[in-house]
Amino acid sequence: MERIFALTPVPTIVLDESLHIIQISTSFCTRSDLDATACRDLHIYDFVRTKTPELNVHSLQHAIDKALTTKQKAFSTTVNSSVQKNNTTTTSTTTSWHFQVTPIFEGDKLLYILVEAPLEDNAPVDDHLTKEPYGDPRYTSETYRILINSVKDYAIFMIDKTGNVTTWNPGAALIKGYQQEDIIGKNFSIFYGEEDRKARKPQKELEICLREGKVEDEGWRYRKDGTRFWANVLIRPVHRGDKLYGFCKVTRDLTERKAAELRLISAFEEASKLKSTFLANMSHEIRTPMHGMLSALSLLMDTGLTPEQHELASIIQESGSVLLQIINNILDYSKLAAGSFTTVMDVINLPGVVYNVIKCNQASLKPNVTFDSRLDPKIPRTARGDPLRYRQILQNLVGNALKFTDSGSIQIHVTLVNNDETSYEVMTEVIDTGIGIPPNLTGSLFTPFTQLDNSSTKRYTGSGLGLSICKRLAELMGGTIGYRPHSALSGSIFWFIVKLSRLEVQTSSFPVRAAPNVDITRLAAGKQILLAEDNLINQTVMLKLLRKFGFEKVDVASNGEEAVRAVRQKPLTYSLILMDISMPVLDGIEATTEIRKSGLDIPIIAMTANALKTDEEAYLAKGLNDYVPKPVDRELLLRVLEKWLQRSISLA
Amino acid sequence: MSLYIAHANEASHQEFDFGDNVDVGTFEQILDMDEGEEDDGHEFSRSIVFGFLEQAETTFVKMERALKENDLRQLSELGHYLKGSSATLGFTKVKDQCEKIQHWGARKDETGSNPETDDKKNLKLINESLKKVRENVEEVNNLMVKYYKQLEGEE
Repeated sequence: MERIFALTPVPTIVLDESLHIIQISTSFCTRSDLDATACRDLHIYDFVRTKTPELNVHSLQHAIDKALTTKQKAFSTTVNSSVQKNNTTTTSTTTSWHFQVTPIFEGDKLLYILVEAPLEDNAPVDDHLTKEPYGDPRYTSETYRILINSVKDYAIFMIDKTGNVTTWNPGAALIKGYQQEDIIGKNFSIFYGEEDRKARKPQKELEICLREGKVEDEGWRYRKDGTRFWANVLIRPVHRGDKLYGFCKVTRDLTERKAAELRLISAFEEASKLKSTFLANMSHEIRTPMHGMLSALSLLMDTGLTPEQHELASIIQESGSVLLQIINNILDYSKLAAGSFTTVMDVINLPGVVYNVIKCNQASLKPNVTFDSRLDPKIPRTARGDPLRYRQILQNLVGNALKFTDSGSIQIHVTLVNNDETSYEVMTEVIDTGIGIPPNLTGSLFTPFTQLDNSSTKRYTGSGLGLSICKRLAELMGGTIGYRPHSALSGSIFWFIVKLSRLEVQTSSFPVRAAPNVDITRLAAGKQILLAEDNLINQTVMLKLLRKFGFEKVDVASNGEEAVRAVRQKPLTYSLILMDISMPVLDGIEATTEIRKSGLDIPIIAMTANALKTDEEAYLAKGLNDYVPKPVDRELLLRVLEKWLQRSISLA
Repeated sequence: MSLYIAHANEASHQEFDFGDNVDVGTFEQILDMDEGEEDDGHEFSRSIVFGFLEQAETTFVKMERALKENDLRQLSELGHYLKGSSATLGFTKVKDQCEKIQHWGARKDETGSNPETDDKKNLKLINESLKKVRENVEEVNNLMVKYYKQLEGEE
């Protein structure tokens, strides 16, 4: 046995329990040029100090102490020594050493200590690396071990190629609840939830990690006791040379942060909703006096002002209109943002809307611009949708086109892109030859409160909300909105797609004989209606139409005053009033106000040719219940009558 | 600008070309009211159409009187009045002229969106427009006479 240690090629010293040398190998003696017998029985520290002063006694001492406390093998730091070989006088070799200390215990009793000093490297050593202790691999690996073990907030561990855990740090034990002995050798998929495991997420993560060199993920992970925490996980592959050695995995517990984020988000959403509601309320409140101001102003302008006064009043009027438009936009936008915006399903007549939009905008057309439309013959003449909202989008896009087009043309193209048994998808494009949009700005087109022209010399007014309102509206109508540059020419193409439903009852197209709707006949039975309309022709047509619907008793008033009188005389007679807005003596709105003053809540439906959205809202505010544009569309009237008569039945 | 592509599938209607004088969709609704046992001869729509033509004539006379009296307000009301019935029947050109008269009478520009306080100008424009709308009504008259003859011929 003695010969093992005497002849081992690794320079070795064997110590007894009191750290005295029992044996020293020939390889050690040869390297340090020593006589073996002279070394026996020396205390190891004395030995190092006297015989091999080039070695660092402190580093050895440290390693031995550590080995005795841990009962594990310990390493000293590396020492460099220049040994002058006795047979050469001119060269010296620099060698680096480290001690490897192995304590040998029997139970708790120390028997021997084995101190080995394997030769590390014979090559000349890079000074820079070795003089600094940090460059020393032994030193650094030890430091890292300490580092990893003291990081309690991160689980840092290694897994092998197949995903089995090979190391475990106290942080991992704290976060995941597994002790080292529980987990070493187990697959890391144990930390994942059942669904993740079913989806093979752990395996996939390793695959991605190999492919991309890294995986980062956030998600729920599970502790030993089954509780879960929100984790941030980072996995990186570890290679040794070209070979995959395993993976290192760092997990952080972000449960607290996640909860804080959620709290922040909900607080933000709440605040944002409050803001929108506030905006909506305020804009509404501002709008009412604005209307008052503008109407008073237009009266004032009719009172024979001097040219100078008139000029100033015009400026007030123009600014007032711009302001009102902006307030309307803000109101719409905030309603949309607060989610309190709804579309009203009605009969929509696409050619009619397009025609109206073109007509209403003729006045704002610049002299060198032509404005027309092209309608796909396949588009439905009538369908179910929200005509006001559709018109609002179209008007907005056309308004922009008008603003930015100084010469050339503006065109509206309406095409049917899709249709099935229940619905149509209609694309509407507004094509202009205006200034167009710089490519770098197309991204922010539909962002609220953005205006492309932010220069101080702004030529164009507006709230910067128009397009984002359009976007929301198009989405509300089951569609999308977009932009593309006008090919060949300068200019823009804005397009939007909306989904319209087919009418259940096809509008009777001439000369198909349409049977009256069964529902309306049933609803009409025994009901009396008051029709207030001043034009004899319209009276006759409406009477005929109502009779066709099955209303046998229809009273007619030719102005607002007559209507009020009729209602007051027979307060409980009428189930519904159809009210023309512009009538002599007392107009429809005044008449409605009078009727409401009498405490009567009969449904009153306005009929007017002023098909503007703001007017419609004003009517509703004045106590009118609904609104039918003129000329009265049969289907639309039918639906409105159904809606209000049914309502009065269910209320009664 | 011609906007409406008549959408009726059946023949008799499309064969008759109203040009851009009549919005076919709206007029169809009036024609639809004819259908029923009690009204085989298109009596109802015929009475409405020719009733309108009479109403138009009466209104024009009133308009001319108001023009002489420079009564813009009265002109605006008359314009509005005739606009209502022409819209109901789908007589587009007539309706458009009436709307302009209504606006000028209200001392606004032809779209009604801006004020126009030059009364001489307004009266002059109404005078011109009245001539045009008379022509439009005449055109509608001729078309309708032809149309009802054709309907009778078919039946």
